[in-house]
Amino acid sequence: MTRHIYGAAAASALLLALAGIARVGAAGPSGWWSPGEGGRLPAYATYANDYGEVGVLNTSGPVDTNGHPFFEPLGGNGRACVSCHQPANGMSLSVASIQERWRVTKGADPIFAPVDGMNCPGLPAGDPKSHSLLLERGLFRVFLPWPPARDDGTPIEPEFTIEVVRDPTGCNTSPRYGLTSPTPTISVYRRPRPVANTKYFTHHGFGVFPFVGKGPLATVRDPETGLPTAMNMMADARVSTLKTQAVSAAQSHLEIAGALDEARLRQIVEFESQVYAAQVRHRTAGSLMEAGGPPGLGVRNLAAGASGVLGNNTTQWVFPVGDVWKKLATPAGASEAQRNRMRESIARGHDVFMFRTFWIRDVQHLNTVGLGNPTKRTCSTCHGMHMTGMDVANGWMDLGVTNLPWAREEPLNPWNERKPQMPLFKITCKASVPPHAFLGRAIYTQDPGRALVTGKCTDVGSIVMQQFRGLAARAPYFANGSAGSLRDLVDFYDRRFNIGYTAQEREDLINFLSVL
Amino acid sequence: MTITPRRAAVICIALVTSASTSAAPGQQRNFVACPIVRDTSTVPCWLAEYEGELYFLTLQTDVSAPVNPPQLGHRVLVEGVVADEPRVCGGIPLKPVVLSVLPELDNSCSTMLPAEDRYNLTFEPPRPPGPSRGRLAFDNPAPPPARPAAEAEALPKSFTLQYDFDSTVAFRHAGALQQIQDAVQKGKATHVDITAYRASSLLSNGKTLLEREDIGRRRAEQLAGLLKDAGLTGVAYQVRWLDAAAPDGGDDAAARRADVVVRRN
Repeated sequence: MTRHIYGAAAASALLLALAGIARVGAAGPSGWWSPGEGGRLPAYATYANDYGEVGVLNTSGPVDTNGHPFFEPLGGNGRACVSCHQPANGMSLSVASIQERWRVTKGADPIFAPVDGMNCPGLPAGDPKSHSLLLERGLFRVFLPWPPARDDGTPIEPEFTIEVVRDPTGCNTSPRYGLTSPTPTISVYRRPRPVANTKYFTHHGFGVFPFVGKGPLATVRDPETGLPTAMNMMADARVSTLKTQAVSAAQSHLEIAGALDEARLRQIVEFESQVYAAQVRHRTAGSLMEAGGPPGLGVRNLAAGASGVLGNNTTQWVFPVGDVWKKLATPAGASEAQRNRMRESIARGHDVFMFRTFWIRDVQHLNTVGLGNPTKRTCSTCHGMHMTGMDVANGWMDLGVTNLPWAREEPLNPWNERKPQMPLFKITCKASVPPHAFLGRAIYTQDPGRALVTGKCTDVGSIVMQQFRGLAARAPYFANGSAGSLRDLVDFYDRRFNIGYTAQEREDLINFLSVL
Repeated sequence: MTITPRRAAVICIALVTSASTSAAPGQQRNFVACPIVRDTSTVPCWLAEYEGELYFLTLQTDVSAPVNPPQLGHRVLVEGVVADEPRVCGGIPLKPVVLSVLPELDNSCSTMLPAEDRYNLTFEPPRPPGPSRGRLAFDNPAPPPARPAAEAEALPKSFTLQYDFDSTVAFRHAGALQQIQDAVQKGKATHVDITAYRASSLLSNGKTLLEREDIGRRRAEQLAGLLKDAGLTGVAYQVRWLDAAAPDGGDDAAARRADVVVRRN
């Protein structure tokens, strides 16, 4: 029997009560999993969201969270890994859940810890303005040393200078936390990524080679196995294995004293390697898990899928949907008819994703890798990994999410009282290095992205693309939370590439994305 | 994006016109121009104009294609030979052709032409997912069979990397770098000799286009750095850079290269 834990909204709690569905484990009534609550995370559980339900599958069976390092607070701020990787949010963290936690705990939840849950440490505690980026866009502060250094600690000479043009959080100009502090640091603001379906972005399959053409650079190797990694984790690929990510996150986000021991690291990696999350029910289209249904939908199909595979449209589709929902009969019942119409829309949305061409233009690390600028292709050109829609490896590119002129900016005029929320940096590339292919040598950006790791001008604004699974459970989207909804997400691409979607295409594409 | 095996696109020209008499087959055409992209009902084709004549450069295929398309927003150095073939997309084909996207921005390069019925390419896409259904250009290949441990790579072994004008290692070079790495590791090499060149191109208008002064050094040092970063730190590197011989307007692109010799002692 499938059990349900309902999501963050108060309305969902009411539905839970009406439906008489038991909550599972120790998660609270809202579906929130607090650090150290204990209890069991079931082998399979579902959680409501605005589009239906997301399913979380543990292929190794139920997880006893008592004493488990993913679920126990590890550092001084009371957070656990689960704080920002909630099952109800597809193992990420939605802004709806963040706002709910603010209301429920009056800002005392560990996710609001000053280190990164505040716009900048030291701002007035308990004031929502101090946490506005987290509360409004789901963004945590990521603080990185400048200039960057290699893994062995040797400094990297940056190809550019960086100037703080706008600092609404105060952190980048702070004498304690900023660029001029004793430990020069740049603060950018990013969304937590889903810790689920990890075999797809840690694979050693297609596309993982000893050298990366983007950059170029030698591929980062797993320090334990010596094998080249996919370099497809985090917004900037600054770590490349689940273990090194856990070490890094424990130190920065969890403020652990000392280091995680091997046993706890192994437990974390083992858990992360077997947990899957995907939408399993759509409120109108119904179950996404039916036998004979689309073979790429639902969390069980996802868990059974092949990793390290570049999708195609012949044998291994990016998202195998098949023809089963292409043309459905019109049943007598109104709800069944509505269901079938939605299923047909989802099937059409898949075809928009897969086959609707548009001109992809001025994308560093996409139009520069041999495809030409522009290139007439489809969503699936970049989002090509089988089952997840990531790039198969080294998936960073500058789509324009953080670089001007495409990044979302607050319109400035006398009639708008809102002020810009995001920092703005001016990057000036040295004359001796290759410039950013489409922005040249002077770039304004809210987040230099991978360039904060490599110091390369051509990497400014490049962000590792994210997986598509469980989208419905974890708005907002993009690394900087600039798309508040799936419609915002589609609209960004429509505007960015002048696609000209019809209303029908837009609706179908949104419906398709909502069932992944 | 990923690297794929090279496959040639299949192009069927549905409508052709006779070749121009202004460019005789076999003539070399070296020039710098803004590229032009022309849409078709299938994939776009790329053109450039020189002295009032339109030349066909290539069409959109895949990163694995022998010739990669140029980029709007940048001028392109075209080094090609006029082919004795019908026009494609209205342009005289250049075959072979080498295209170098010049690094600096030039926003005047922005011409996109709409599709016209008379320029109709029937294109079998070599790389799904793409704009249409078609054969697979590649599949996820099975891993190569493991070589016997005792079988050492025969050394010395030489490799040549060809560069775009004023450029260093690009996306397409990852495979060549891997071959060098394999040779070092499997051959138990002790030395890697890298010689990189700065070259120039004699344009069809008689002018010479010279690469930036430090490009030879940058190419050589970058290769050594990449190999070291890949873990090849136990070998001795001899790194040098030279100016190539003067261009003759023929295959000048071949001089933009780095030679790598992997050897023992």
